[in-house]
Parts: sequence; C-alpha cells; structure tokens
Amino acid sequence: MINLLPLVKNETIKIIKKKRFYVVLLILVVLVPMFTYAQMRSAERTREKFHGDWRLEVQQQITDNENSLSSDRVPDEWKKFRKIFIQQLQYYLDHDVNPNEPNGVTFTREFLDNSISLFIPLLVMAIASDIVSGERTSGTIKMLLTRPVKRWKVLLSKLIALVMYNSLIVVATVIITYLISGAVFGYKGFTIPVFTGFLIRGSEVDMSAVHAVPQWEYLLMQAGLAWCVSLVVGVLAFMVSVLVRSTAASIVVMMAALIAGSILTNMASAWSSAKYLFMVNLQLTNYLSGTPAPIEGMSLTFSLIVLTVWGAAAIAISFLVFTKRDILN
Amino acid sequence: MFMYITFTETTVQIDLWRDYVLSSSKWIWRIIGILSVAATLLLIAGFAYAVQDINHPQGSKLNLSAPSAKPEGTAPGIIEQKKELKAAVIGDSLAKGTGDSTGSGFARRSVTKLAEATGKKVTLLNNLGINGLTTSGLLPKLREQGTRYVLGEADIILLSIGGNDLFQGADLLSGSQTGTAANDGEAADLDPDELLEALPQAKKQLQQILEQIRKINPGALIIYVGLYNPFGDVKDLKVAGNQAVSEWNSAALTVINKYDNMTLVPTFDLFQHHLNKYLSTDHFHPNDQGYERIAERIVQGML
Repeated sequence: MINLLPLVKNETIKIIKKKRFYVVLLILVVLVPMFTYAQMRSAERTREKFHGDWRLEVQQQITDNENSLSSDRVPDEWKKFRKIFIQQLQYYLDHDVNPNEPNGVTFTREFLDNSISLFIPLLVMAIASDIVSGERTSGTIKMLLTRPVKRWKVLLSKLIALVMYNSLIVVATVIITYLISGAVFGYKGFTIPVFTGFLIRGSEVDMSAVHAVPQWEYLLMQAGLAWCVSLVVGVLAFMVSVLVRSTAASIVVMMAALIAGSILTNMASAWSSAKYLFMVNLQLTNYLSGTPAPIEGMSLTFSLIVLTVWGAAAIAISFLVFTKRDILN
Repeated sequence: MFMYITFTETTVQIDLWRDYVLSSSKWIWRIIGILSVAATLLLIAGFAYAVQDINHPQGSKLNLSAPSAKPEGTAPGIIEQKKELKAAVIGDSLAKGTGDSTGSGFARRSVTKLAEATGKKVTLLNNLGINGLTTSGLLPKLREQGTRYVLGEADIILLSIGGNDLFQGADLLSGSQTGTAANDGEAADLDPDELLEALPQAKKQLQQILEQIRKINPGALIIYVGLYNPFGDVKDLKVAGNQAVSEWNSAALTVINKYDNMTLVPTFDLFQHHLNKYLSTDHFHPNDQGYERIAERIVQGML
C-alpha cells in the first residue's frame, strides 16, 4: 500500500499533464451551451403555443399520445410505452406538479437522463482508452515497467486513477451543465418535487409506491447511477486499452459497442437475450423515472448484476493480460 | 571558462524547472486527490440512495400538494364582452380534424374565421380530439384534472362526439387506411337495426357529457357539432342512419335548450346530398371543404 500511493499520484498528474481531463472539460463547455440553446428554442416555441401554461401543454401531450394509440402503424411495444407515459403525465397533472418546469436543475436532470448511456461514458473513455495504450504508443511503458515495482501495482494505480477521474467527470458534468443552463433558465429548482417509484406491470402503472422527491435528491440519485454506468464503461475501455496497442483502436472499439447499444435498445425488444449485453443496460435512470426497460425482464437489480459481471470480467482480463504479456513494442 | 559558465546557467535553469514541475505536481495531486475522493463518496451515496429508492419505494410521502383549486369556469360573460377569446376543442376524430389534409379540422378553421370576423385575438388552447372516441370514452375524461383545467380556461368549447357511438366499427375500419375500397364491406358490417339499438344508452351519455361540461365551465359558450349521416348514399343504411342521426341531434337539443350558452350546430343538411364532395377518401370523415363548411356554420352561429 505504501508504494501504491506514489504510483497513483504519478498517474493522476500524468492525466492532467497530458491534458486529457482538460479535453473533457472543454468538450462539456463547448457542447452544453449548444444543448441549452436548442432546449431554449424548443421551450420558447411551445410556450408560445400554450401561452406559458404548462397544464395545457401536458394535457395536449396526453391527447397526442392517446391518439397514437389507435393507429395501427404504431408498434405494440411503443403503445405500451406511451400508455405508461400517459398515466405518468396524468399523475403529474392530478397533483398539479409541472414535470418539466424550465430551470437549470430540471435541465440538468433531463440532460443526465439523455447522456447517461452515451455522452458521459464517452467522456470517461477519453481518459480510459488512453491510459495504457497511450503509454505503449509513446513507448513510455518500458520506462514505467523497468522500475522496481510489481506490474499489477502499476496497473492497479492506473485503475485507481481512472476511478478518481470518473467521479470527477460525473460531478463536473453536473456542475457545468447546471451553471451554463442556469444562466439561461435560472438557477432555481432544487426543491421542486419529482415523482419516482412508478411500478410497471405490463402496460399498467402501479401508483401505490409513487412518492415525491426534491429535485436535488433526484439529481443526486441520477448522478450516482451515471457514476456506476460510466465506471463500468470506463473499466471496459480500460481493458480494451490493455489489449489493443493503439489508443485510436481502443476508442473505436468502445464507441462501436456503445453505439450498438443505443441502436439495440431501440429495436431489440424481440431478441430477449440481448439484455445480457452490457450496452443495453446503461440507461439506469429509466428505473428512476419509471420508463419501461427496453427488454422484458430487466430491472435495476438485473442491470446492476449484468454490469458488475462485465466490469469484473474486464478487470480480471486486464490484470491477467498485463501481468503476463511481454512488452516488445 | 566560457564553457563553465554556460554549464552552471543551464543547471540552474533545470533546477528551477524541476522545482516548478514538482510544486505544480504537488498541487495537482492535492486538489485532484481531495476533489475526487469527495466526488466519489458523494456519488456512491447517490448511487446507494437510488438503488434503495428504486428497489424499496415507499409511497407514503404524498401529502405535498392536493390538487389546487383551479379557476373553474370563466365569469359568465358573452363573446362580445371579451377582448381575447380562448377556445378548446374536445371529442372524437372530427374534433381532431381527421380527414383534413391540412390537419386544421373545423377547430382551427373556425378559430381563424372567428378572429377574422371579430377582429379579436382568438386562440385555440388545446385540441383534445381523439380518434375513435365514443361517449363512454369521453365521460371518464371529463373527470381528469387536465381536461377539466383546459375546459375551465376556455371561453368557447367546441364539442364533437357521437359519430363513433352510432357508426361504430366504421371509424375503426377507416383508421386502418383501407380507403374507399373497404367502404362497401364496412357498410355491410353495419346492421341498420344495431344502429338504432345503440341509441338509448349513448343518448343518455351524451346528455351527461353536456351537463358535465356545463358544470365544469358555467360561463363558456358550448358549441356542439351535430351529426351527419356518412352512409346516406348506402341503400340499406340511408333511412336507418338518417333516423338515428335526427334522433341523436334532438336528444342533444333537449339538454342544449335548457341553457343559454349552448348551441347545436347542425351539419346534417350540409352533407346530405353532397357526400362525395365533402367527405374525405375514407368516406366517413369530412375533407378540407367539409370542415370549412362546418367551421363557417360554427362562426355564423356565434356572431
């Protein structure tokens, strides 16, 4: 343990000096204003149509969804989604709570919902994919391994650094999103109630366990789930980074997996064994908001088990390969 | 001698550089270390909270907001007094505007016409028309908070309902985009006797609907769009259909006549002899011109 800490310190500083973390922050600072602007425009437009009255807007949303239920061209699974969505909106209306009140916190909440399965993992990959393969590309791996330190310790220190930066990235995403969107939508909204605990049975929603949570607590829960997701993706990227020699290749491999996941979640409801793939299980915030899972039989516990198994396997493979392999380069 | 000086200068520079690197590294490590540990702990707490909350939700904390009392009904005022008019539409596919290639339906068309005729600002709050809705489908909707709110906000409420009660099945068939080809089959499915059989129950529900809406918004002008017979050109259904429609309309009138601020806009005559001209390809819903004529009627009745 005593000689692990300096190694972790070394890795932490390297990531900063190699400007990897700055790149992540820069991406956030550039992209979040774009999302904010897009959201602002669409919010403006609907507000114009509904005279700033959210109840009218929500009611119209309900009616539009009800109308699509009678169309034969809408697939049955979508109808199920929409039925559930209608019941939730109805619940918000019945309790006189605006589900999408425009403010910085709500924007951040929605942003987290949308970015948990792709955007945040992508940011973590920017660090994870480079962490081992980057040293091989530049040849510094040899210098690192000629030190009188066990190889597993070297790898472990990199893994710990990754966990640290993973947390920093998730928190930075929340803070930057809040600060930037707050400038447009206002910084209020921490105490607005958000409903959670919708139990989905078939296409019906069991409301008996629904309860209101202040929005900041909801945000905290979301961030925790996002942290878990990006950690698993980060660990997988870490493994690929051990296996593959070039950083570019390891990023491409992980990108392909993530994008395949987002495509699969949209169409794999018929192929039920797809639920054992990690990339289908990334949308953990759905369990919080009560959005039905893409494939029958998925629950939070199920998704967490799948993610844990994948993550554990990735760590095992990384260590096995890294300690055994000859570094020739 | 010269060489020696440069040598020391370089070593000094290297020393300075190393000091700088070391001290900045020390700070990076401290800041990143503390921040990341704090962030990790916070996120783990959030994660644990989320898992706990999702797996063991407790639905007991719901006392925060009973549905607040909403402005139920605008003050009894008539069209002329208001500077700005708000309209809401509720009912079936006719209310929604199915068959209109522009998607406006009689709702948007009559709102535009009214604005032109009066010079006032007339806005369509919501179109709550749902394809295939029957009176039994509409009644529970009138108990929903959202619907009540929309109706409560409106000065003018346009209602269209009943077509699916009488001509049940026809709307469902046309919903599947079969077009006119299925029309004969459709008509054959409709038994003239059944048409009249469904009447008493549906009539009662229609009257309940009108009373309900009146109660939700005592001040608004309620306009009920009467039925027409889309099967007036089908031999077997012509008489039965006409009879059902007129009975239906008179049932609506028995309620409507009780109140000052309620109107029935007849459409029966508009379509009677011009079905091909004013019905859309599904031979059930009006087309653009059909809706235009309904909208004209609606506005005429208001001025």
